[in-house]
Amino acid sequence: MNHMAKRARAALSSLPGSLIVAAFLFLGLAAAPMMAAGAESKLSKEDEACLKCHDKEVGKEHLQKKTEDGKTLSLDVSTKAFIESMHNGTACEDCHDSLDGKTHGKVKTPLASRRELSKSMQGSCVTCHKKKVKQYDDSIHAAQIKQGNDKAPLCSDCHSPHTQPSMKAPMPIEQTPCASCHKDIFKAWAADVHGQERVAKGKTAPICADCHAAHEVKAASLGDALRDGCLKCHKEATQQHKDWLPNAALHFEAVACAACHAPNAERRVNLRLFDAGTNKQLAEKVGVPRFLKRTSAADVANMGLDERALWSLLNEFSRDSGSSGQTILRGRLEVKSGVQAHQLAEKGKALKDCATCHQQGAEPFQSVIVTIAGPDGRPLRHGVQKDVLTSLTAMESVRGFYALGSTRVKLLDYLLILVVCGAAAVPLGHMTVKWAFRGYRERRAAEERAAAAAAAAQSTTPPGQNPGDASR
Amino acid sequence: MAKLYVNPLPVRIWHWLNAFGFVLLILTGVQLRYVGQIDLFSFHTAVVLHNWVGFVLIANFFLWLGFYLFSDKIKVYHPELSPAKYFKASFRQMQYYGYGIFRGDPNPHHVSVYRKFNALQSMMYQIIMMIVVPIQFASGVLLWDVARFSAIVERLGGVRVVDTVHVLIFIFFCGFIIVHVYLASLGHTPTAHFKAMITGYEDVDEPGAPAQH
Repeated sequence: MNHMAKRARAALSSLPGSLIVAAFLFLGLAAAPMMAAGAESKLSKEDEACLKCHDKEVGKEHLQKKTEDGKTLSLDVSTKAFIESMHNGTACEDCHDSLDGKTHGKVKTPLASRRELSKSMQGSCVTCHKKKVKQYDDSIHAAQIKQGNDKAPLCSDCHSPHTQPSMKAPMPIEQTPCASCHKDIFKAWAADVHGQERVAKGKTAPICADCHAAHEVKAASLGDALRDGCLKCHKEATQQHKDWLPNAALHFEAVACAACHAPNAERRVNLRLFDAGTNKQLAEKVGVPRFLKRTSAADVANMGLDERALWSLLNEFSRDSGSSGQTILRGRLEVKSGVQAHQLAEKGKALKDCATCHQQGAEPFQSVIVTIAGPDGRPLRHGVQKDVLTSLTAMESVRGFYALGSTRVKLLDYLLILVVCGAAAVPLGHMTVKWAFRGYRERRAAEERAAAAAAAAQSTTPPGQNPGDASR
Repeated sequence: MAKLYVNPLPVRIWHWLNAFGFVLLILTGVQLRYVGQIDLFSFHTAVVLHNWVGFVLIANFFLWLGFYLFSDKIKVYHPELSPAKYFKASFRQMQYYGYGIFRGDPNPHHVSVYRKFNALQSMMYQIIMMIVVPIQFASGVLLWDVARFSAIVERLGGVRVVDTVHVLIFIFFCGFIIVHVYLASLGHTPTAHFKAMITGYEDVDEPGAPAQH
């Protein structure tokens, strides 16, 4: 906006003073804002000079450039579109300040590719958009570029510098820049509850940037940002879940929203490596590929890590942290792919049957992975054998993840059977022995009664008389 | 036989509430653990019932504790602080249950107001009520709201460890309750001890009368 004001002032100052006075006299003060608005959309002589060649409508020639990768780069800039764009207050040379006026257009300069041009122009965005560029620099996209990814988006891949409309203005969803790379996910979103609300009903349902942020995009499966994103709009969801869902807070931590709200999705258990001391997810450092090296060495057959290999993996990462921390696993139930995460259904169709997860052999627990945040922010995964979730000896490794019924320790089931059978055997055995001895007890009781009777008779017989005489 | 008042009302209320509660906890606990294999309640009903009964029994525990702490009846748990006598009595009691009872020997333990329990009972009930039951209640409360008590759960080794302790004690009680009911039937009649826990009056031998087998 400051730029626009400067441009307006510059335009006004370039007009003859008498003309301004005449304009005020004829149109009055009320016309001043209109004039200022008109001045804003006017171009400087320098910009007009640029567009004289670069706008094919003005110059009658479509300027193009052959890049070294064999492709043709259009150098056309539509004056009309530029004036209507958010950058109409920015002079050409504000961004293209490295061009030499003496040689530009006369001497051919080599250009590797369109992407190289975009990369070289990236710095000019910082001048005005410091905050956004900083957010972008922390994103998974910027991290991928630092890692040498030549497809991750640069500023100009999402924002066309010469035609960029206001990002606040409603945009047809097919123009959503994310869709150009994330086609399948975008297609799934367009068909799910949010997409349908936005497209069919024209409501303000969330689109990509509302959940994933436009610039500080993080890997979706890392952290809890997505859950927090859901709760930002669905403020009542926490209480609504508490009203019916036991241990609701734990479910919010251990189950991704999509795991229940995308009812047709496939689910799995993601055991995430965490530092117990800092309570942060472990991340690989650039150039030190510990995770992939260790997991592939421990699982040559690629059958998934068994409990022993998982235990060793945790110990190795704990050793890396030294005495400062211990590496632990925090499990989370999530859907298997980004496409499935965007198949959210209406609230009424969300999974509400506890038995979906809380029974032996439940589908979500048939697939288990262990993950670490990769150096570019994306998770690195390796399969884990599902038996670790039900093994007594893996208890220490997966101590932070437990789902009633489905991940119960099998050995305890056998112990329960043993104890109940053993306890039932006690009365049965005891009663049996008692029954076997009943004759002995009866004989003994009879003898004792007889002895008691004899003793009683003895005690009642007068001295000198034989007790046997009484029977006679 | 004479009648002796050995089970005061608070003890009887506690006992039967506890007994009924434990049966419910075992049934709902089994349901929670074996969804799909057992169908006594829905999972959700079992969770809600398990939690409520658990809290009722915690309150009931304090009724028991309060009664014994604030009355002289606490003596029933340790009528004499003599380890030698205690172990001798325990041995005699084990000998009776394992051998003498088959032969028709008299029960070596004679009930009186402050000697309600035999040596085995007094030790077993003290272990259960002062160690096992509090651990079970504490682990149950932690599992009731894991997120709320996450710091304690973490310190104890994680939710899986806490749950395993809870399940181990559950398994113990599954066995205990069977043996407890059977031993209670070994009075002078099979129902004598059950009646005593309802009326409060235990049948005891008349002074000078021969001991009951």
